Amino acid sequence: MKIRRRDFLSLVAACALASTPALAQDQSLKLAFIPQENPDKLLGDIEVITAWLSGEIGVPVEGFVTFDHAAAVEALRNGDADISFMGGLPFVLAEKEIGAVPLLSEVYRGAPTYTGRVFVRKDSGIETLADLKDRDIAFADPISESGYMFPLAEFEKAGLITGPDAAEDFFGRVFFAGGYQQAMQAMAAGLVDAAGASQYADLLLTPEQQAEITWIAESPAIPSHVVIARPGLDAGLSERFTAAMLKLNQPKHQAKLAYLYGPDGYVRADSAAYDGVRAMAHSFGLAN
Amino acid sequence: MKRLRQLQIILSFGFALVLLAGQAAHATAAKEAPWLPEAAAYRLTLFLGNLAPVPWEALQDAWENPYRGSQFPKGALARLEDGSAVDTSALEQAIATEDRAAVYAAATRLIAARINEELDRALAAETSAGAQAAVAEAQELYRAFGDHLKAADPGAAREIGRAWLELTSATGSAGVLGAGTQDADRDAMTAARAVISDYLTANYLPDSFVPRAKLTAIPETVHLSGADVALRPTLPPGSDIFDQDPLPRLVLKFEEQGIDEKDLPLIAYGDMLFDSAQIFGSPASDLGIACSTCHNRSDINNRLFIPGASHQPGAIDVDGAFFNPIFNDRRDDAIDTPSLRGLRFTGPYGRDGRFGSLHDFTRNVIVNEFGGAEPTPFMLDALVAYMQEFDFLPNSMLTAQGELTDKAPEAAFRGEEIFNRPFAQMDGKSCASCHIPSANFLDRKAHDIGSAAPAYDGARTGAFDTPTLLSIAYNAPYFHDGSLPTLASVVDWFDSTKGLGLTDAERADLTAYLETVGAGDDPFEAFDERNTPFRLAFDELTTFASTLDTLLPARDSHHILILTDTVAADLAADASTMSNLAERPGIYRMAELLDQVGEAVRAEDWQAANTHWADFKATATEIDERVY
Repeated sequence: MKIRRRDFLSLVAACALASTPALAQDQSLKLAFIPQENPDKLLGDIEVITAWLSGEIGVPVEGFVTFDHAAAVEALRNGDADISFMGGLPFVLAEKEIGAVPLLSEVYRGAPTYTGRVFVRKDSGIETLADLKDRDIAFADPISESGYMFPLAEFEKAGLITGPDAAEDFFGRVFFAGGYQQAMQAMAAGLVDAAGASQYADLLLTPEQQAEITWIAESPAIPSHVVIARPGLDAGLSERFTAAMLKLNQPKHQAKLAYLYGPDGYVRADSAAYDGVRAMAHSFGLAN
Repeated sequence: MKRLRQLQIILSFGFALVLLAGQAAHATAAKEAPWLPEAAAYRLTLFLGNLAPVPWEALQDAWENPYRGSQFPKGALARLEDGSAVDTSALEQAIATEDRAAVYAAATRLIAARINEELDRALAAETSAGAQAAVAEAQELYRAFGDHLKAADPGAAREIGRAWLELTSATGSAGVLGAGTQDADRDAMTAARAVISDYLTANYLPDSFVPRAKLTAIPETVHLSGADVALRPTLPPGSDIFDQDPLPRLVLKFEEQGIDEKDLPLIAYGDMLFDSAQIFGSPASDLGIACSTCHNRSDINNRLFIPGASHQPGAIDVDGAFFNPIFNDRRDDAIDTPSLRGLRFTGPYGRDGRFGSLHDFTRNVIVNEFGGAEPTPFMLDALVAYMQEFDFLPNSMLTAQGELTDKAPEAAFRGEEIFNRPFAQMDGKSCASCHIPSANFLDRKAHDIGSAAPAYDGARTGAFDTPTLLSIAYNAPYFHDGSLPTLASVVDWFDSTKGLGLTDAERADLTAYLETVGAGDDPFEAFDERNTPFRLAFDELTTFASTLDTLLPARDSHHILILTDTVAADLAADASTMSNLAERPGIYRMAELLDQVGEAVRAEDWQAANTHWADFKATATEIDERVY
C-alpha cells in the first residue's frame, strides 16, 4: 500500500558515540528515505540502519521518511537532509535542479543496472512490437523508467511511433496500472495484451503465470536506484558514509541490506551511467 | 536425495518492491503479497468459519490482532477505528454471539463498504497521489473477493479488472519533482468507479444473504443462481508452508555409500512421492502440500503454520477439519511434527507409537490424514524404501554405540553421568533406561511420563513413544505438543515434575549432554553461487524423472503419470527461483517435454513417449552447466 501520511516522520538514532575518536561534535548526517509500501516497516528499518551507520561513521545519523521524491529533493536543497535514497529519474532531475551528487548505486543480481521489457502471454500470438498495433498495453506509471519510458522508447526505435505523444495513436488503449505488479497481472490475466515493466517484473507473477508469458523487447541497461548527496556536503563525511555503505557488501553485514530497500549490495555511482536516463528525461519532456 | 520446495519471490527494485503469488497446485510454495489487515481478517473469517467446530477464539483474534507475519502493526478493527467510518458493531456482535451466518454477512458488507469508502476518497482527493493511494487501497481490499469472484463470474471479473485499470489511469500523475504532472480525469474515474460499486451493491451489499453451507466470497447473485462454482483451495493469510531456513541437511544412507540414486529406481520413485502433492487429496494436493512440506529433508519444518490447524509453528492437527473432513476427530489436538531422521530405527510410529508398521503408518497419512486415494503397493513400497534411507546426522562427538568421543565437551561427560544415574523418584530408572544409548537413544516403547493431560477423567491417553535423542539439537521444540522450547527446558521439566533435585550445575551439564548427543556435523545445507537452491531442486527433479527409464519399458501408465504430473509442474515452478534467470526457457522446455511424455502415455503412444523422454534427457544434458 502507499503511504498516506504527509508529515515527515523522523527518527534519531540514539547511539553511544562518546568514545568514538572520529566524532566531530558539530557534525551529523541526515538521511531522507522515500516511502515504499509499508511506512511502518520503513521506520523500524531506518532505526536499525541509522544506528549502525552512526557507529561506523562516528557522527550521529538521523533518518526520516519523506512524502515523496520532491520532498526529499527539497530537504536536500534546504539542508534538512544530507543524503537521500532515490530513483534514477528523480536523481537526474535533482542533479539539474540542485546539483545533487550521486554516491552509490544499488546492485541487483550482480549489476547496478536492469532493463525494461515488453511482456506478452505466450498464447497471444504476439511476437513483435508491431503486432501490438491497436492492441491494449498496461504500463506501470507515467514516470517509471523501466515500467514506461524505456519500454515505450523501444516502439520508437522500431519506427512504430514517432515519440511518446504518439503512443495513443499506435496502441488500442494505454493504461497506467499503478505498478509493475498490477501491469503484469493485467497482462497475465488477459485484461490487456502487453505490459511494459522491469525485466524482473515477471517474478511478481505466480510460478504458473511466469511459465505462460514471455517478452518480445528489451531496453538498454537502465542504471539502478541511487544514493545521492546534497551539493556542499563535507567531502570527508561523504566519503565516510560511502565507505560504510560499501561495507554492506561484506558477508557479515549483508543482512542489513534488508533494511535498505533490499538490494544485493552497492557500488560507487558512475554519473555517466545515468546519461541514458538524462536523455530519456529530455525525450519525455521532464527536464526541459 | 534433496528436496527444496521453497520459492520465495522477493524482488525489489528500489522502491517498487513487492511480490505476489497465489497458492500453487504443485509442491512449490510461492510467497504471497502482504494482505491489508481487513482483507486478511476477511479471508481468515472464511477459512476459520468453514472449520468444524468453528474456532471462535481464533476468528475473533483474526479481527482484533495482526495476522501472523503481517507487516502492519495493527489488526483490522484497530485500523478501522483509526481510519474508517465503516461501522463494525454488527460484526463484533455476530462474533460475540458466535453466529456464523451473521459473521459472514457483516464481514462481507464491511469489506464492500470499505472498498466504497476508499473509492469515495479517491474521487474526493485533491491530488493524484492521494487518489492513487486510495485506489490502491480499494484494490487491495477487493483482493478479499477477487479470486472467488473470478471463478464464479469471469465476465464480471474481467469488466471489473478493466475498471480498475481505467480508474488508476484516470487518476493522473503527480509527476516527478514537479515535471510530467497529469490532471485526473474525473469523468473517467466516476464511470470506472460505478462499474465496481454497482457490482458490489448487487453482490456484496444485499439486504440479506442467503445462508451458505460453505463460506466463500462467491457473489450473492451467482450463489442465488445455484451455479456450481469450482473454487481452488487457498490457505488464509498468516499461513506459512515454506521450508526452514537454513535448510536441514539430508543424510541418505545410499548417498553416503556413494550409490547414485538414479541406479535405485524404487527409492528414486519414493523420493518423488515424498515430494508429490498428487498422492494426497484436496485441499492438500491443490495447495502443494506433500510429505516433505512438514518433514523438510527428512527432518521437520519448524515454521510450518496453518491458522486453525496449528497451535504454534511446526505443529499441525492432521485429524482436524481442514485436510480430510471425514477424518475430523473434532479435537483441537495439533502435534509437533516429529523428525524422520533414522526412521528405520525409530518404530513404532506415530507420537503414541500406535503403528508398528511404517507401511501402515504411511498409508494412514495418505488416505486418512490427507484424504488421498488408496496408494498402490508399489507406491507404498517406494515411499517406505526411500524413507528407510533417512539417516541421523553424523556426529563426531558420539560413537555408533552412543558413547561420547574425545571431541565432546567436558560438561557433556559430567552430564552423561547424570543421564545414567538411577533416580528413586523415577522408580529407580535413569534417563538412559528409556533413551538407551546403544539403541539409538530409544527403547521402542510408549510411556506415560505425565506430559499430557488425560482426555477425560480416568483416561489412559498420555503414553507416548520414546523419541530418539539423536539429531535433536536442531528440531526444537520438544514433546508431543512442542510445549518445551529448548533442551534446557526439557531438563527443567523432568527435574521439577519428577522432583529430581538437580543443582543448577547438574542441569547445565545434563543439557550439555543432550546437546552433544543431539548434535550433528554440518547440520544444514550449504549453498553457494553455483550450488543454489534451484540447482538442488533441479538435480532432484531430474533424478525423479530418471525412473522413467524403468517405468516406460514396463508401460506402467499409472505411476508414470503421477511422476510426470508432479515433476513437470515442479520444474516449471522452480524455474522462477533460478539465479541464472536467462536459462529459464530451457527449464520450461524440459517441463513441456515431461508433460508431453504424460500426454503420450495417456494416448498410449509409447513411441512418442520415449521420444519426448529422450529429448528431455538431451535437453537436461545440454543446459546442465548453466543450470543454477
